[in-house]
Amino acid sequence: MITGPRQPASPPPPTAADRSRLRQFGSAGGGPPTGTGDRRLTSARRAFAIAGIGVVIGLLLDAPGLHKSAFNQPAGWQRTVALDVTGGLEHVSHAVYLDRPRAALKSALGRSHDDRIDTNIDIPVAAAPSSSAAVVGSAAGQSVTPPRVAFSPAHPLRVWIAGDSLVVSPGYALLNDIEHSRSIKSVGGVDGQIATGLERPDVFNWFTTIRAELKKLKPSVVVLSFGGNDDKGYMTGLPKDVSVTEFGDEAWAREYARRVGGVLDLISRAGAYTVWIGLPFTRDPAQSARFERINAVAAQEIAKRPRTAAFVPTDLLLAGSNGGFSQYLMLKSGEMVDARAPDGVHLSSAGGQIVAQKIVEQLYKTFDLTSWRHRSGQVAASG
Amino acid sequence: MIFPTATFTIFFLIVMPLSWLAMPHVRLWRIFIICASLVFYGWWDWHFVFLLIGCTLWTHFWAIRISRATQESQRRAFLTVALIGQLGLLGYFKYFDFFVNSSHNVAHAAGIDLPDWTRTIVLPVGISFFTFMAISYVVDVFRRELRPAGLLRFGAYLTFFPHLVAGPIVRGSELLPQMKTPRNPRTVDSSRAFFLIGTGLFKKVVIANYLATHIVDPVFAVPGAHSSPEILVAVYAYAVQIYADFAGYTDMAIGLALLLGFVFPQNFNSPYAAGSLQDFWRRWHMTLSRWLRDYLYIPLGGSRKGKLRTTFNLMLTMLLGGLWHGAAWTFVIWGGLHGIGLATERWFRERRGASSRQRHLWLRRLATFNFVCFAWIFFRSDSLALAWQMITGLFTRWGEPAPLVTASVVIWIAVGIGSQYLPARIPEGVMARLSRLSLAWQSLALGATLMLANAMGPQGVAPFIYFRF
Repeated sequence: MITGPRQPASPPPPTAADRSRLRQFGSAGGGPPTGTGDRRLTSARRAFAIAGIGVVIGLLLDAPGLHKSAFNQPAGWQRTVALDVTGGLEHVSHAVYLDRPRAALKSALGRSHDDRIDTNIDIPVAAAPSSSAAVVGSAAGQSVTPPRVAFSPAHPLRVWIAGDSLVVSPGYALLNDIEHSRSIKSVGGVDGQIATGLERPDVFNWFTTIRAELKKLKPSVVVLSFGGNDDKGYMTGLPKDVSVTEFGDEAWAREYARRVGGVLDLISRAGAYTVWIGLPFTRDPAQSARFERINAVAAQEIAKRPRTAAFVPTDLLLAGSNGGFSQYLMLKSGEMVDARAPDGVHLSSAGGQIVAQKIVEQLYKTFDLTSWRHRSGQVAASG
Repeated sequence: MIFPTATFTIFFLIVMPLSWLAMPHVRLWRIFIICASLVFYGWWDWHFVFLLIGCTLWTHFWAIRISRATQESQRRAFLTVALIGQLGLLGYFKYFDFFVNSSHNVAHAAGIDLPDWTRTIVLPVGISFFTFMAISYVVDVFRRELRPAGLLRFGAYLTFFPHLVAGPIVRGSELLPQMKTPRNPRTVDSSRAFFLIGTGLFKKVVIANYLATHIVDPVFAVPGAHSSPEILVAVYAYAVQIYADFAGYTDMAIGLALLLGFVFPQNFNSPYAAGSLQDFWRRWHMTLSRWLRDYLYIPLGGSRKGKLRTTFNLMLTMLLGGLWHGAAWTFVIWGGLHGIGLATERWFRERRGASSRQRHLWLRRLATFNFVCFAWIFFRSDSLALAWQMITGLFTRWGEPAPLVTASVVIWIAVGIGSQYLPARIPEGVMARLSRLSLAWQSLALGATLMLANAMGPQGVAPFIYFRF
């Protein structure tokens, strides 16, 4: 129902007799008064009872979703309490069949998986890239620059863009940039999932998603941005013998590197190349420092795989004249642009364009995207 | 804190009974509701609580001075100081960087390079709403339409959490009298409150979010990659999205206020059923429209100073109304388009007389709706370049496939627009029936609505569009 009905007149102030009742929190006496449009007005106590009981019913009907939400919360006492409460609710809800309507609705919407908690990290065991993975070149030794693989309108470079919310702005700007390119084609658009990352597969399992999308979309290049929500010391899906308690320490770095490396290997084994967008400076210096730590781990993993992945740093690219965070950036043209979103973390469309430009440069550097023009010119000339 | 979250639900279930328990002692209630509202506001960033307190104290101080001043010149001077402070606050947080940036680029185009004076200012949530309420309060006191309230009552009025971050823009004359005496705990309009909360939740969480993620965001981000049918449907989808998002929020705000015993003014009245632009502005964000009318358009002279001046007043009001929504040229153009539209409509009306209003209602509704949708393109686009791409894309790629135009998208758009033509008696009837149900059935209806919105909505909560205004 979208229409907004008319407002009723303001209720009258209470009489002296009402005042004594007020102290008992609105217990109504006599028959129920009516309001505008034949509505029965009620006592505050009854309204609160409806709200309270309604919320409890809502909690029971929504218990599986709430339990997943609780599971997805950042580590801390609130999560522990929320898990205990929603865990109990889920048991009760299941026992009295109140979770069935939600399950049926989700099933009808084709979203049965929504309430499933998935912490499985399915990545290749070996961290090193396989020899068959290289799509960029066939040179055996890394000292030799591999020949660039050529793409053309008949065989375009297929680009898939994915990651957390930080990928959205540069991702769409990249789509704009490649829109008129005949040798580059977007597949799957921009898959930017808010509040996700590699630390918490329970929130959104990127490992499963990437594997599935690689199979479905068959991209030649995957542009990724991760880490914006990974500056916490809490991870799910840890191997049995691994424990991570603090962000940035050795155990964290080892596990995070395993996940970054796993994603890179997953992609390279599917025959695709990865362009990893580094994290920018943010308004909060402490967050910037954490992002630098994540960048270091990602860059290190990518450096181990120079033939199948490239790292595009954005911190200095989007830094102001002070070398740190800046909302506004002066372009080479002298124009000043608002490069960041109001939250001081994400990029504006202008900021996204700056990063997208770098990604395009990286694509042209890594792949041969122009020689088809000469070849088609020769064909035309000889024809 | 935003409404459709577990945190707010817990907050409200604590605040509601305590508010009613404190109600008989009005001073205690005012202190309580101010504290609760500051907690609500500070949940986002506690630093800005001081800004809200500062705005409250500043406005109260000058309102008292204005009311006590005996000479007209003194009253005017005090009003000017009060407005400078309030507009200065809004100007600094919302427009400083925009004007510095724009000046820089204009100067650069003229061959002059100015230094970078931008300050990277964080925009406090809801600042446009509470400063507009503060402005209307001092102006009403100056006009002697309102007697200044005591600090606690005024503080409760300005910080009252249901309207604090995204309106409606409630006037002092509407809310302050309600806060003078305890509200009657026997006459809570709970069925209307729960109806508004439930429908508001559904509009925001289900309709607005679905359309945003499935067509609006992808198309407006890269118009060049989409066909004309997709662009056209995305524009209509955005019209429904912004309505469902904003009207959904204010419905919830009105409903929550009702549960605490307070009546807020209506903010939306089926705006897409409007038969003219003037009619549209009487139905869309009604509390802002009347604010602009009473505190800008009429003081400028309204329609009393000749045709040319009326057109100028309309244009200026709509341009500033556009700028109120955000510090960007796209908003200015959006406001300008509405200004031109309103002035043109006025011109036609004067030539043809009032009788023309009665004719071709459906045609005029169609024209009004499409004009409003066209203007939304500028409102939603991140830049003028993208808005232009949207407009050219509307006409140039009709033969291409439109995979984003799915049956679900079309159904939600149809629901969003079609429901605006429902007779008012239908929701009134639903509310009346709801009010006659037993406590158990009402609770069940509320619980089922919560489940539906949660299950059909996306995982997590997307922010409201109007928060950034």
